[in-house]
Amino acid sequence: MSDNFIRAISVGEIAPGGMKAVELDGREVVICNCDGNFYAIQRRCGHMNAPLEMGTLDGTCVTCGMHCAQFDVTTGQALSGPVPEDIGNETLPPRVAAMLQNVGMQMQHVRTESVHTYKAKVEGGWVHVAP
Amino acid sequence: MDTEARKNALHYFFDKVVGPLGFKFTPDAELRDFLLEQEVKLEAKHGIPFCPCQPIRNDRARDMKIVCPCIPYHREYFDALKRCWCGLFVHEDVTDPDSLPQLPPKEVGLE
Repeated sequence: MSDNFIRAISVGEIAPGGMKAVELDGREVVICNCDGNFYAIQRRCGHMNAPLEMGTLDGTCVTCGMHCAQFDVTTGQALSGPVPEDIGNETLPPRVAAMLQNVGMQMQHVRTESVHTYKAKVEGGWVHVAP
Repeated sequence: MDTEARKNALHYFFDKVVGPLGFKFTPDAELRDFLLEQEVKLEAKHGIPFCPCQPIRNDRARDMKIVCPCIPYHREYFDALKRCWCGLFVHEDVTDPDSLPQLPPKEVGLE
């Protein structure tokens, strides 16, 4: 192709509402099928690097499976940070409680950044992604 | 986090939840916009989009009942009012939300 787009996957590989991770020239990319429109975003969550294809896609909003941070796949814009976890009234062993307290303290300083998007287009039954 | 983008996302997700419950967003665009903005602020602070017109009491069991859209937890009351208490959602047949009275639960026979 003249514009150097890279052939990634065939259109039939992802059902509407689905996502698939691919590696293109060393980049980890997730291709999203939003009701027949295809978008490509970086694979790593803008919160803590979890693989976004293991989350869920609803409309054009992807929710990370790890902490539920959300992103708009059309723009890459971060829509929400992580959802706080609740362990209820469970009493944890002191070492586990101390570890979680430490993790929690550090996570307060973790920012949710927007994710990178790549141009994607469908041609000849294939999804092509910009380099 | 961009407030407008998050408001749009909340609108998208809430719409899916309240429709099957027989509710819709208020047709009052200004009120809708204002309330969603408050929820975005509450979510940024607490991680959860709480109802903007209810106090957070740090009692998780109770506070989970004011996570928007809280219609299922207060169904009887909201059905009587034809709106939720902050007015973000109204019954699907409501066209003039200003005409709906805001009554305490005992005045609609619930206490």
